[in-house]
Formats: sequence, C-alpha cells, structure tokens
Amino acid sequence: MNETNSNKLNAHDLINVGIYTAIMAVLLCVFACLGIIPVMMLSLVVIPPLVAGIPYMLFLTKVKKFGMILLMNILMGLMLWVTGMSYYATIVGTITGLIAEWIYRKGEYKSKKLGILAYAVSILYIWANYFGIFYNAEQYFSTRQNYGQEYIDSVTALLPPWMSPVLLIANFLFGLLGGYIGTKVLKKHFEKAGIV
Amino acid sequence: MDYKVDLKPASLIDPRTKLLLLFMISVFVLGGAGGEKMTVFYWILVFVPVLLLLSERKWKLFFISVLVYGCSYGAQMFLKGDLRPWESVLALSVYVIVKFLPAVFMARYTMATTKVSEFIAAGKKMHLPDTLLIPVSVIFRYFPTIGEEYSCIRDAMKMRGICLGGGKASQMVEYRMVPLIADCTVIGEELSAAALTRGLEVGIQRTCIWNVKLRFLDYLIMGFCIFTVVWCMIGGFFL
Amino acid sequence: MIRFEHVSFCYAGGSASLKEIDHSIKPGKITLICGPSGCGKTTMIRCVNGLIPHFYKGDLQGRVLVKERQTTDIPLQKLSRYVGSVFQNPRSQFFNVDTTSEIAFGCENFGMKPEEIIDRIEKLVRQTNLRSLMDRNIFRLSGGEKQKIACAGVACQEPEVITLDEPSANLDHEGVCGLQKMLALWKKQGKTVLIAEHRIAYLLPYIDEVLIMEDGRIREEMTGEAFASLSEEELHKRGLRGKTFENAVSMELPPLKGERGKILLEHFRFGYKGEKVLFDIPRIELPAGEIIAIVGGNGRGKTTFLRCLCGMEKRCKALVTMNGQTWNRKQRLKHFYMVMQDVNHQLFTDRVLEEVLISQEREDKEKAMEILGKLDLEEVAERHPLSLSGGQKQRVAVASALASGREILLFDEPTSGLDHSHMRQVARLLDDLKKQGKTVILVTHDGELLKEVCTVKLSLEDLNRKADLFSYEAVQQGT
Repeated sequence: MNETNSNKLNAHDLINVGIYTAIMAVLLCVFACLGIIPVMMLSLVVIPPLVAGIPYMLFLTKVKKFGMILLMNILMGLMLWVTGMSYYATIVGTITGLIAEWIYRKGEYKSKKLGILAYAVSILYIWANYFGIFYNAEQYFSTRQNYGQEYIDSVTALLPPWMSPVLLIANFLFGLLGGYIGTKVLKKHFEKAGIV
Repeated sequence: MDYKVDLKPASLIDPRTKLLLLFMISVFVLGGAGGEKMTVFYWILVFVPVLLLLSERKWKLFFISVLVYGCSYGAQMFLKGDLRPWESVLALSVYVIVKFLPAVFMARYTMATTKVSEFIAAGKKMHLPDTLLIPVSVIFRYFPTIGEEYSCIRDAMKMRGICLGGGKASQMVEYRMVPLIADCTVIGEELSAAALTRGLEVGIQRTCIWNVKLRFLDYLIMGFCIFTVVWCMIGGFFL
Repeated sequence: MIRFEHVSFCYAGGSASLKEIDHSIKPGKITLICGPSGCGKTTMIRCVNGLIPHFYKGDLQGRVLVKERQTTDIPLQKLSRYVGSVFQNPRSQFFNVDTTSEIAFGCENFGMKPEEIIDRIEKLVRQTNLRSLMDRNIFRLSGGEKQKIACAGVACQEPEVITLDEPSANLDHEGVCGLQKMLALWKKQGKTVLIAEHRIAYLLPYIDEVLIMEDGRIREEMTGEAFASLSEEELHKRGLRGKTFENAVSMELPPLKGERGKILLEHFRFGYKGEKVLFDIPRIELPAGEIIAIVGGNGRGKTTFLRCLCGMEKRCKALVTMNGQTWNRKQRLKHFYMVMQDVNHQLFTDRVLEEVLISQEREDKEKAMEILGKLDLEEVAERHPLSLSGGQKQRVAVASALASGREILLFDEPTSGLDHSHMRQVARLLDDLKKQGKTVILVTHDGELLKEVCTVKLSLEDLNRKADLFSYEAVQQGT
C-alpha cells in the first residue's frame, strides 16, 4: 500500500481536482455573466462566493494531501485569465491558494471551521478581477474611451479607489458565509445521502 | 472493407498553437494590451477564430460572427463622444460582444477540435507536468457531462412543475445544485476508477497515436504572435 | 491465475461485503459471478482488478493473488496491464471524448508504440464490427454503443484477465448480442474472464464456471453445463433471473380483453435538430388503464418518444386526448409523469416526505403518509432520498407523481440492472398503479418484465412503419 502513504498527488487526486474545478468554473461562469451589467458588477463579490461554497466544501472532503487546493486555484486563475478577466486573478489565486492550503493543513485536512476559512481565502481571486480597474484605471479606461464620459463616470463613481479594500472585505465575508452554507448543505444533503 | 485509422490531423493547427492563440486573444483582445497602436493586430486576432471556424465548415457561425463584428464596428464608429445613458448601455454591450466573442470562439474551437489525447501529448511536448495536464484534460471532458446532467435536472423540474417552496431563490438554487453536484461527484468517482484501471497514473511515459507536430501554418501563426508581442513592446517608436 | 485466500472485505464505514472467500480461478476460463443485489459480486470483481485495496478503502483480510502476486503489492498502474475492466455505467467510464482515442487510451498509458496500437485497433475493428462507431463523439452514442467502445478499449490492451461488472445493465438485445461476440472472441483467445451479472441468459453458451453468491459468501459453485440445466424455478429460488434469452421486440403478448377507454395521440413527429426524423405517427389510439410497453432497439428514440409524450420536447407539437380532454405540450406536463432511467435527477429535497409534500397542490401530511404507505415507503419517510436503494428511489418518484394526481405514468427502463426479486417488485408496483386506474407506459428491453406484467406491447418500428393504421391492434397484428 505504498501509494496511500505517499504525499504525492496521484491520478485520483488530480481527477478530483479536475472535476471540482470544472463545476466551480461552470458556476462562476453562470453567475459572473451578471457582472456585465455595470450595476451588477459589484454583485460579483457577493453571489459567486455564496454559491461556489457548496462544491468547494465537498471538494475539501476529498483533500488529504498538499497541493490540491493550490492546483485548483491556479487552474481557476488561468481560466479567468483566458476568459477575459485579468492576469491578476491568476497571481492572486496562486497566492491565496497557497495560504488556503496552509490553513487547511493546520486543521489536518479535517477541521470544518478552518475549511470555511480556507475557502474564504482562496475565493479572493474573484476580488482580484477588479484590480484592473483600481490600479490601472487610466489604461483600463483608455481602451474604453468611446463609451462616453458618462459611462466611465458612472463606473468610476461606483468604484472609487477606497472601494478596493471594501470589496476585498466583502469578498472575504461572503466567502465565509458561502463556506458556512456549503458545510450546512454538505450536512443536510451529501452526508445524509452517503455521498461523502 | 478494411478499416484504417485516419491519422490525418483532425484540425488545421496544433494544440500548442491553439493555446498560444487563446492566450494572445486574452491578452490583446480581451485585455486590450498595447492600446491604440495595436488596432491592426487587434482586428487580425478578432478574425483568426472566425477563419478557424470556417476551416471547420461552420458556415452559419461564420456568417453570424462576421455580421456581428461588422455591425459592432459600425456601432463603435457611430457611438462616440458624449452619449446618452441608453447609448452608453448599447455601446457597452457592443464592446462586450466584440471583446468576449473572439475568446469564446477560440475556446470553443479549441475544445471542439482537440482530442483529449492530443492535448496531453502536446502538453507533454511543452514539458508541462502531469499535475497540470490530468486536471485540465478532465475539465475538457467534464464540461459536456455537466451540461448533460443539468439538462436532465431541468427537465425533471419542468415536469414536476417546480416553483417549489413558493419560488424562493435559495431553494431554487439548492434544488438545482444539490442533485447536479451529487451526480457529478458519483460520475467523477467512477471515472477515476475506470481511468486508473486503464493505466493512468502520474509520471508515466505515455505515447499517443495521433500525430502531434508543428506544421507550416503553426510556424506562420507563431511568427505572427511573436511579431505582435514585439510590436507591442517597441512598435511605439515607429509611429 | 487468480486466487482468493480467505479473503474478507469491509468497506470503510460499511458492513462486511465479502466473508472468507477461498477460491481459485483457472486461466482461460470464463467465470460468471451471480447472486441477488448486494451479495458481493461487485466487491469480488474489485478485488481482482485492484480497485480494492488501491481505490476503495476498507478493511481487507486474507490475500488476493493475480499471477501469483498479491494485489496489495502491485500498484494499480502495473496491475492494469494484466487485468482489464469494463464497468456498469457507460456514461462514466470514458476519459476521452472521441471513440478512437478512447480505444487506444489504455495502450497509450502503457507506453506502447503508436504503430502497434493502430495495428491492434484495426484488427479489432475487423474482428468485432466496430467500423460505424469509429471516429465519433462518445457523448453522441447510445448506452449500448458506449459499452461496445468500453469493451473494445479493454480488448485493445490485450490483458490476460478481463473483468466485467454488470456490463449489460443498459443494453438492448442488439447490444447484448454485441457483448456476446466480444465474449466469443475472448474465449477463442483463451482469456480469463470474470463477469458479475444479473442477466444470465445471454451468457449461458460461454461460461465454464459459475459462482452463486449470497451475503458475501460463495453459496454454490458449479460448472457451466450444470448451471445451464437448472430450471427457471431453481434459478428464481436462488434469487436469479430466468435463462430464456429473448428479444423483447419479437415477443408476443395475449390480446387485450375489455377496454377501459382510449388515449388518442396525434401528430407525433420528432427528430433532433439536424438529424433524421425518429418517428412520425399522425394518429394512434392506445388503450387507457393498461400497462403499455414500448420496445425497440437502442438509439431508435424510445426515450425521446416518452419525452415527447410528457411534454418535455418543445419542438414536438403533438396533441393527446383522453376522457374528452385534449392536452397540448404544456398541459401534458401536468398530467403525465415520467420516472427517468436515472432517478437521481428528479429527487430534490432532503427528506422522502418532503419530496411528496412539495408535489401536492396543498401540503397534506396525512395524505402524503398514506401514499408512502401504499408504496412501502413509510419507514424511510424521514431519510434522504439519495441514500435509498435504486428501487426505493423509483418508488419515491412514483409517490411524488401520485401526490400531484397524475393520470399517466411513464417509465424509462425501470428494471435495468435489477435482480430477479427487485424486478418482481417493480412489476408489482406497476400492477398496483394499474389497479388504481392509472395508465402506465414504459420503455423496456427486459423480456421478463414484459411477460410478467405488461398488457400491451408496441414496437416503435411498427408504429412508424404502419403509421397509416390508426389503432394499436392493427399495428400489432400481422407484419
């Protein structure tokens, strides 16, 4: 039984990462489409973190080794990049993935409380999508010049620089809430159904 | 009649080139890198996926996309300066379509024309580790599964006439997601078991029956991509 | 070749699945493992292909030897060269999206030369008639076709041992015949084959040895000939299915006596976008209050027929008239209820009782419990629907249909993968529904279920071919 004791990821772990990343990506994609409408842009830090907690907490029950959380975050980050968010999501995702990995390991891959925290941390890559607006505002809008000053004004009014930490905190809090909902659903459905 | 495995490459370009194009489009079209001086490259990159779709004989999609791009280009010319609110909304949607559509088309083309096995082989040639290749190939295979499962669940809800629980949003989400995730988990476990009994493991020397190699068109596209990047970095001098 | 030495196994957090198995399997023999559901067939198979102990965790005692080596010592990757596996669910055992790559997948993982793999594939296609399935998208294949590809993938690896876990659960007569061809090939090549299966009729000509299991133990061992000479009653007594290998499509049922009204179907025409028309039936009358079986090969549109009937397919503009009421598509969604082949899709809540309550127009707990009582579900009323057995899930779905007062119930392959006693249970359920005055329409390729309980049999091919005859009797009669 040498491979069960090994801490290296095996094919089974990697397939699990693939499956849950696919589910998370589909969910984010569905709920992120709301973000195209300017006013709804802010809802991005609210709705996806709430919903994605369910598959994520289920994913965590499969995590017993170092690297799976990080890998999922890197893949999510890459997918966000390719589908039009910024590469900040990839960078932030990698960093938060590492931190989440560390947090969850603290709980010996069992603690639900630390699991929720790990989720809230790793999901911060959603917040990173706003980076482009806050830190490169000029460049961001230079390519959008022909949409009328009014639109730019309305977006910048909605997103003044001090909004950035606010969004970060919101993202984190809704992540905690989403993780909490995730554990509740896990208990209500998946544990009772014998899937976990 | 004897059967011969058709080893002709299934698509015009190599998986590596597809990934490169996907990357280029996300940086230069979606990301708008380089700004004004990249306009020509921008539009070339917008139309590359369209041409690739044409090579797959997707006529309808081809005509629709050309029409959409044409209209939106016109609209962008027209909707300039100070705009009324509804014009802003229109301009924004036009903007979003032209920005996102190429990436969507390119991703679709990549998914539709790349065999999982080809993708792994190409990845190995790029010296990507299995830790990345296996999950990505699972994601490839899993998107259609999620779609299939979801449409079954939607049908079932329709049949039960579900505006369950007075149509509370949280319940609507719960009733859809729980069976979906449960199904996907079960299928995932079975998929893992099947893949393992067929010899999939991390770090194995894997062969591939498909010919994965770069051809003339691949080099041409790569050359163009390098030129684009160089132009983006130093092109400003010549303007 | 394969030896079990005092093997006991117990899944993590479960009860004992195998108890003291001591048995050896000779090379080159085809062995059938049968027995009622939950007898440990699948666990036996998993011990041989190494999924136990490498994938499914639990407490394994004793030794399982494959080629004189203990399975615990061989990593799964190595073991997979000797042992190839085909699983029950055709939807979940694919790693690739196209068929040709899927067949090559195992060999590629073993690092074989591409030319050699291609040679093998070409030889295999010649031997097993797979031509029409090559270079296709697996997601577009029927269950039977997918299972053929799974077998081909294993055959291409040319392992010495092949295990099959209920491979026919989702197959029609044609698909089963395809499986027979595969078995014949393996027998000729002298492979050691292990099959766990409920449907035994199709295997009789090939098996050398039979293990009948019960409750984690081998209850009886016999030779293939001895097994073949058992009578139907003797098989049923052991919880096994019958041994007549019949094609549901060509079976005859006695004519119907007496009528309880008619259901008139009009304009039943449907084909998926860009594909050929599956059926085109301008007008047909079916008897109400009966159990009607629709038969036909895999991929001919039986399930689609049910989907159109209950109003799920938007593009089907059919009308249905019953008791003087005519229903269009949307109205049919309220009067028909379809129990899907994969029932998991239609159970949403966390309690069986809740599942019934939300289907009622006004929640009425007493009435709900009454319905559950009738379906033998009272005891599980508080359990999570997904934690129930397959048969129970089916009945929960029926309970919710009854709660919402549907008159016509549709079933898609209600007995696929069921053993004899569970098949009988479904038959009783259908009969009860009939007694309550409901009309049952089901799609099946299970000849035994057809004989047991169905009162009318129609083949989709006949309905199509004789579309100008407007009554079902006329469609049934003559060829």
